[in-house]
Amino acid sequence: MAGLELLSDQGYRLDGRKPSELRKVQARMGIFTRADGSAYIEQGNTKALAVVYGPHEVRGSRSKTLHDRAVINCQYSMATFSTAERKRRPHGDRKSSEMSLHLKQTFEAAILTQLYPRSQIDIYVKILQSDGGNYSACVNAATLAVIDAGIPIRDYVCACSAGFVEDTPLVDLCHAEETGSGTAVALALLPRGGQIALLQMDARLHQDHLDPVMEAAMTACRSLGQVLDGVVRQHLQEVSILTGE
Amino acid sequence: MLKTEKVVVLRNSRRGHVRVVRELYLREQVPCFSSLCQGHCSNEGKVLPGDITHYVVPDAGVVRDFLEVLEFQELRGIVFTQTACQVVQHTRGRRQYNRLKSLLKDPRHDCVLFCNEFQLYSYCPREKGETQEKWHTRCVYRAAVWYHDHLAGLKPVVMITEDQHAVAEYNRLTSGVYVISTQEYLQSFWPDLQAAQELYISIAQVLQERESEGQEREYAEHLPAEVLEAGIKSGRYIKGTLKVNKHRAQQEAFVQADSSTKNTELSSDVLVWGMKQRNRAVHGDLVVVELLPRGEWKGRTIALTEAETGVEERTGEEQSQPMPTGRVVGILQRNWRDYVVTFPPWEEVQSQSRNSQRILVIPWDRRIPKIRISTQQAEALQEHRVIVRLDSWDSTSLYPNGHCVKVLGKSGELETEIQTILMENSIHVLPFSEAQLREMLLNSKENLWTVEAGEVAERRDLRTTHLVFSIDPQGCEDVDDALSVRILPEGVRLELGVHIADVTHFVRAGSLTDLEARSRATTYYLADRRYDMLPAVLSADLCSLLGNVDRYAMSVLWELDAKSLAVCKVWFGRTLIRSSYQLCYELAQSLLNNESVEVPELAQLGEVDKKKRLKELKTALEQLTKVARYLRTQRDRGGALELEGVEVRAQLDAEKNITALVPKQPLEIHETVAECMIYANHWVARKIQETFPQQALLRHHPPPCQEHFSQLMDSAKARGFDIDSCSNKALADSLDRAVDPHDPLVNRLLRMMATQAMSNAQYFSTGSCPLEQYYHYGLALKHYTHFTSPIRRYADIIVHRLLTAAIKLDKGMEPNETLASNKELEEIAQHINNKNRAAQQAQKQSIELFQCLYFKDKDPLTDQRCVAEAIIYAMRANGILVFIPRYGMKGPVYLKNRENQVVSLRNDGSCEWQAGMLQRYPDRICTITSNGIHAFSLFDHITVRISVQALRCHPDSLCLEVISDRLQEVAKLESLAAGKGRLELVQEVVRQAEAASQQVEEQERVPQLSKEEREYQQSKGPNLYCLLQEVRELALLDLSVCQGLGLGLQACIKSV
Repeated sequence: MAGLELLSDQGYRLDGRKPSELRKVQARMGIFTRADGSAYIEQGNTKALAVVYGPHEVRGSRSKTLHDRAVINCQYSMATFSTAERKRRPHGDRKSSEMSLHLKQTFEAAILTQLYPRSQIDIYVKILQSDGGNYSACVNAATLAVIDAGIPIRDYVCACSAGFVEDTPLVDLCHAEETGSGTAVALALLPRGGQIALLQMDARLHQDHLDPVMEAAMTACRSLGQVLDGVVRQHLQEVSILTGE
Repeated sequence: MLKTEKVVVLRNSRRGHVRVVRELYLREQVPCFSSLCQGHCSNEGKVLPGDITHYVVPDAGVVRDFLEVLEFQELRGIVFTQTACQVVQHTRGRRQYNRLKSLLKDPRHDCVLFCNEFQLYSYCPREKGETQEKWHTRCVYRAAVWYHDHLAGLKPVVMITEDQHAVAEYNRLTSGVYVISTQEYLQSFWPDLQAAQELYISIAQVLQERESEGQEREYAEHLPAEVLEAGIKSGRYIKGTLKVNKHRAQQEAFVQADSSTKNTELSSDVLVWGMKQRNRAVHGDLVVVELLPRGEWKGRTIALTEAETGVEERTGEEQSQPMPTGRVVGILQRNWRDYVVTFPPWEEVQSQSRNSQRILVIPWDRRIPKIRISTQQAEALQEHRVIVRLDSWDSTSLYPNGHCVKVLGKSGELETEIQTILMENSIHVLPFSEAQLREMLLNSKENLWTVEAGEVAERRDLRTTHLVFSIDPQGCEDVDDALSVRILPEGVRLELGVHIADVTHFVRAGSLTDLEARSRATTYYLADRRYDMLPAVLSADLCSLLGNVDRYAMSVLWELDAKSLAVCKVWFGRTLIRSSYQLCYELAQSLLNNESVEVPELAQLGEVDKKKRLKELKTALEQLTKVARYLRTQRDRGGALELEGVEVRAQLDAEKNITALVPKQPLEIHETVAECMIYANHWVARKIQETFPQQALLRHHPPPCQEHFSQLMDSAKARGFDIDSCSNKALADSLDRAVDPHDPLVNRLLRMMATQAMSNAQYFSTGSCPLEQYYHYGLALKHYTHFTSPIRRYADIIVHRLLTAAIKLDKGMEPNETLASNKELEEIAQHINNKNRAAQQAQKQSIELFQCLYFKDKDPLTDQRCVAEAIIYAMRANGILVFIPRYGMKGPVYLKNRENQVVSLRNDGSCEWQAGMLQRYPDRICTITSNGIHAFSLFDHITVRISVQALRCHPDSLCLEVISDRLQEVAKLESLAAGKGRLELVQEVVRQAEAASQQVEEQERVPQLSKEEREYQQSKGPNLYCLLQEVRELALLDLSVCQGLGLGLQACIKSV
């Protein structure tokens, strides 16, 4: 079969979106009562679940304890049924430990860790269904979970991926675009201040094209921020009605 | 924001099926691209007109199988659905899909793409148990209904389908939306469009037959794509383009391995021997080959073969060293184009097969196998040339299947043959359409075109300040460059100016004229006519920098230091000029030489005035020459290869012993003008490359492959010369040294061989090529482009636009036209390169055609003109290759005929056929007969007789026969006296053809076709002009052209 046409001449992508349009985002907060914070997000067909415990005392070896701020512990995993072909995914493989590390770095930049010295915050993320943009779904889910847990953070951390096809930046790539286009940038942004919490890219991209791609990704992150904000407000309303305030 | 739906697609992956879930986003606003739109669609780009009777929506099956019918420009208002496009992409491959895409982009064709699957109301999900075809038809129908409703029923919509059930099911469902079959549609809506109906029928026939087929297998099946992919990756298979040997089309084909191939031990091409091993691949296809075991490797044949033989087996002794040999296991990409074929005579058809509907036709191009087509017209079309398209080649069939597209005419007629040549090179030139000509401004006596006031304000006015003049060949009507030179007021600086016709002012990007020019890409010069790139109003009048009229120009002005001639400042910009003198080369040279000549522009002036003006002009010319000399030496120091300049000179060298009229050297003024043009091109290239590092159009000339020089070196060694090809400078120097004082032709032949070894210069987009590869080998310049001939080259038009944008950016303004992106530009560059190659090829073939026509009715035994001097330049196993300077052609001479007799020589030098044998050495070939041993060595002069070998299906070819091993005095004397050049040859053939056609008309059997085509032909008769233009082109270097054009040179110089 001929290679997929990622961007048609009319300016449509495979799934009918325009280059700068995001996939549909749906999210819920507070789905598990036992955890301190939890959230579930769907970005198109990518579905992620995040759970936050803490802040609590440092578990395991005490030597990890930091005296001026909290330790953040992230764990990323994918469900066996998350991809088209069922595959056993053992813990601690290279890909997921790398992803865990990325998440850790992202949230260390966002959470006000110095408020909780000598304590630990655990963030567990699981991908239930994978269709491109796993990292961004994880970050967005984790942000909501952290907020649900009531841990103070600087700002929403919004993440989005972007690619570059036929001289046009595409945002929020789906799986086919991620594998087909070659270039994928993952960007995590604190939208209010405009600080970049994480920027990651493995493929080659010409220097001249980096700016437009990043610009597109940042715009996408900002609009994602608005969506997340809406979700949080909605959640608060529901909770406040329940508690009868 | 948007509504989400989910589609479940079952897709085939490496092992079995995998369930892939894809999202689909639907929206209400999908542009409909109709000018009648009642909603508020954002219709950008091509829009369907409102003045047609209906819109037509073809079903997926129709688009898949009958796309060619839909390509007729007469069929207007076609709405392609996204569903249909996707079906084409998935079932017919990338090539067909690209064809559909370019059709959609073509502004001359009224068709649009409607993305029905993204439209909320026209999308319908596939139902359970519904077959794919049914679903597609339903989708297309829903789209048609939506389209009808969207336009509020203003236009009836016709859906055409091949599915009879669909017709029955849907036809009466919605009023205003009609569902009918394709055939019915063509018959009732386009009864006049006979060609489309015929094409439809011939494709339908092919489809029907394909179903009913199924015999024993003739070829091995191709491997599946995944296996090929894996094989290429692992290095087991080799991917490459198949090239068939023209002379041995049945046996030999070569696969040029891709650069990506991993197999490093492979040093040369892979030989594919025989039709079985070639496994249905056709010349030009992208194939995958598997190497055979070393024991089965074969060598390539080095013997000369005559056109019609080639079936018999040759023994091993005539083969070279065994080379890698392989067999085709799969075809990645078919590269079929339209082929011209000849129908066999009717008697042959009847005996050929039991079933007279299917006949085998023979393509004009020898490299293409015979094609089987089914038609009822075989009797009417016998010995006609017809355009045929290939459809398929199944493993059960010995020959590929095809269908007729268009009839060109009877073979052997001049018009048919010319059309054949154009077709075979994929050149399509129709006369400029009404709509295009309507865009043109008028310039006539009543309606005189004048300079617009707004433009005067924006442009730099050079009319009074600068002395501008043009130097062109005599009788030139499209002057696209003019020059100026002056000393700036302070006296320390010199200002050199090159002014080029401002074509882009008249040809706006995206206008119909622009698109037509882009698709033509260049002006085509054939031996007897030319096809212009731009309409004559522009090329010969408004854009042409004629004398004493105001014209717009694009100028480059350099400020040079008057002493050192170093560049101090460069200015690019649009100007308004008035050329004071329209000189020709000879006149300018005479002025430089201080000869007293009459300048036509000064004829009416008084004596004093005249002297003053003449002096002014002379000084300008002298300064110009000085600057050009300096530029030349500077370039030489950089290692410039002087091949091109010398090539011209070498061509003339040969002439000088034939006629006294020809100057021994080309005039210096030729070189001066050329040098200024190269300089302008170079600076413009630098400028646009700096401003647009990603999307500038440049021209590079890659260094040649060293192996190609081996023949040149071997030949030179035979005469004791040493050729050094390590760099361009070394090559130029060693070629300069390789001069035989007794035989000037030796140097000329060596240069010809060197030219042959060169790779072609090509256009490219800077974004798609690494910086190191920008280098122009021939000119020894880091950056080069084409800027100076926008009237006849499209590349120059693009460069003009880039330069305009660059100037605007410098001034801090945004360019008002969006420039082509790197990808688009690279596409355009490739297109122009292809068209240029086609143009050269067509020119060469048309010259060959005329040569054959010229010799056709001469009796080779009696006519002195058929006897000519020839020089041996290469050795083959059974013959030699010779060059005939008088007619400027090359050809093989056989020393051994089919009865295994060889040429032997009598004492007086004349030849006869005798039993004997041949012995071949690197620098000579010996015939051994009872008369003794005789050797033919490299660079020997011999006398040959030229005769025509008439062939029915292929172009006629010239046949050379050695008649003496020394020069015949008669021939020499005769050639001195007559010196018949090509131009005269062309003239004579044209005259004959016209006389013949008149005769036919008198007999009232007017061949309709040839008459029609005579109307299309844009300029008639031999045109000296085009040949003269080529002289300049030569000087500006295209090494690839040199060869073909150089030949034309003798003729035109003489007639000047």
